[in-house]
Amino acid sequence: MTPTTPAIARQRPLSSGPGRLLIAVYGIFALAATSRAGVQIATKWHEAPLAYTLSAFSAVVYIVATVALASSRPQARTVALVAVSIELIGVLLIGTFSVVAPGDFRHPTVWSLYGIGYGFVPLILPMIGLWWLRRTRGAASEPT
Amino acid sequence: MPGAGPEHACGRVTLVSLVVVWVVVAISLVTLLLGLLASARNRAPGQVELAAALLTGVAAIVQSLLAGFRLAGGAHPTELATTVGYLVGIAFVMPVGVAWALAERTRWSGAVLAVAAFTVAVMTARLRMLWGA
Repeated sequence: MTPTTPAIARQRPLSSGPGRLLIAVYGIFALAATSRAGVQIATKWHEAPLAYTLSAFSAVVYIVATVALASSRPQARTVALVAVSIELIGVLLIGTFSVVAPGDFRHPTVWSLYGIGYGFVPLILPMIGLWWLRRTRGAASEPT
Repeated sequence: MPGAGPEHACGRVTLVSLVVVWVVVAISLVTLLLGLLASARNRAPGQVELAAALLTGVAAIVQSLLAGFRLAGGAHPTELATTVGYLVGIAFVMPVGVAWALAERTRWSGAVLAVAAFTVAVMTARLRMLWGA
């Protein structure tokens, strides 16, 4: 339906088509992680400062990723790539730590046990995010 | 968990909230299904899907209001802060989801509605757990 002008439409917008579904899921995780971290820090900060700092960190990553993916600014793509990459590293690191040293991770974050509390979506989401960033990448930045 | 909810909770209130929970979950699951169907059939959501989505949103808001009255009336769930967070958050999921789905009406709009509806259903189930049996 949409007329494509190859000269202008080099890069497909991130927030179009399936991207909208991706951003919707990111938005939900931004909401979930933020509320979780907010409650943890407000009500029982002294119990596990490290775990709750990680919780807050994951919340910030989700918020930045959501906003960057939804944004149409040219720099947003880079920000999204960085945020989603950190997200993937985060879920892999925290996931692994929480398996190896469960004693240190009794206070769960969204990324504990690779996001088991959220149906492992936190593990799959950054992979889909990276795939989407790659798929919508313009022909101009294609390595040849 | 020791020292959970009090046993003398009013039976009528519990019954009403249980009915509300089932109504919200049922409506949101219908919306989930309709959204997925529209998406699978490569269609933008029509009036039926939108009506279901709006109904889900209204049901969630009504649920939050009723729970708010219960909290104001002195009920105390296990984790008050989490409960309040869920009650506020759930009220916004469907309205924002509908707005996001309608901003670009493609087959993916139905999938967005489905995700929002699923979130409402999960959050409602989680709320139910927070209130205790």
